[in-house]
Amino acid sequence: MNPTPDTSTAGNGGNFDPRQAAALLDQTTQQTRRRLEPAQPWLLVIRAVVVLAVFGAVWLNVRGQHPYQHPTAAVIPVVIIFGVLNLVATVTVARRATAGVSGRTRMRWAEIAVGAVIWIAVFAVMPALAGAGVSDAVVYGWYPVTVPLIAAGLAWAGITAARADWRRCSIALAVAVTGAVALSAGPAGAWAVAGVGLCVTLLAHAAVIVWQQRRSVVRP
Amino acid sequence: MTTEELDPLIHVPTRLKIVATLAALPDGDSLSFTRLQDMLGLTPGNLIIQLRKLEEAGYLSSEKTRNGSVQKTTVALTSNGRKALDAYTQALRGLLNGL
Repeated sequence: MNPTPDTSTAGNGGNFDPRQAAALLDQTTQQTRRRLEPAQPWLLVIRAVVVLAVFGAVWLNVRGQHPYQHPTAAVIPVVIIFGVLNLVATVTVARRATAGVSGRTRMRWAEIAVGAVIWIAVFAVMPALAGAGVSDAVVYGWYPVTVPLIAAGLAWAGITAARADWRRCSIALAVAVTGAVALSAGPAGAWAVAGVGLCVTLLAHAAVIVWQQRRSVVRP
Repeated sequence: MTTEELDPLIHVPTRLKIVATLAALPDGDSLSFTRLQDMLGLTPGNLIIQLRKLEEAGYLSSEKTRNGSVQKTTVALTSNGRKALDAYTQALRGLLNGL
C-alpha cells in the first residue's frame, strides 16, 4: 500500500504526490463506506448462520410427521426470540452507522414501524386461520414460513425502490422469491427451502457489500 | 499530463478526505459537522477552514438548524462538487497511467 500523508497539518498540495492522492482517495472512500453502511457484513453472516440453524432445527423437527402437524412448542419461543433479536440488532447497528447522516441512507422510524407491523400482523392471523378450521399443514407449515417472507420482502422492496436503493431492493425481492419458492416444497420442506434460501441471500448480500466497500475509486 | 491539471482545491490531503467522505454518501444526503469531524479526526477549527474554502468554491453546501438551544450544522456535496471530484479522479487516473 502506498504511504498516505499526514493530513492533520496539510494546508496545500505542493508536495502531494498523485500516487499518495490516489491511495488517500481510495482509503478514505473505503473507510467511509464501511463506517456508514447500515447493514454490516459481519451481522449478515451471523444472521445467515442463525437462520440456517433455526429453520434447519424446525425442519428436522417436522420432517417425519405424516400427516403434518406442527413444530414442537419448544421451537416457538426460539423463533420469536430470534425474530426480536434480529430486529433489535438490525435497527441498533443501522442507527449507529448512520448517526449524523440526513437523507435516504438513514432508516426512518416509519419504515421500521412498517416492518414490525407486517411481522406482527402476519403472525396475528395464525390463530384466526386455526379457528377457521384451516389445516395444520397451512397454519403451522406453509403460512408461517412463506407469508412473512413474501409480505416483508415485498414491503421492503417497495420502501427501498422508493429510495432508489437498488441493492437492498434486490435483496428484499430475493427474500420474497425465497418465500414463493418455499410454497412449492410442502409444509415440512418449506422450512428447509426457506432456511437455505435466506442463508444464501444473506451471505450474497454480505459479499456484495464487502465487494462494494473494497472497490477502488481510482482504478475501477 | 502534469499535477497542475489536478484541481488545486481538492488536491490537498485534508480537503480530499472531506470531499471523498461526502461523496461516499448518496446524492442529496448530508452529514453532520460532528460526525464528519469524528470520521476525519480533524480539529473543529481546521475543519471549518477547509469547509469554508470548499463552500466558497460551490463544492459543498452547509445548513444550520436549531433545535432549542442546540445548533446543528450539516454539510453535503453539491452536484458541482461531485463533478469536480469526478474530474479530479479522471485526471488522477490519467496521471497514474502515465507513471
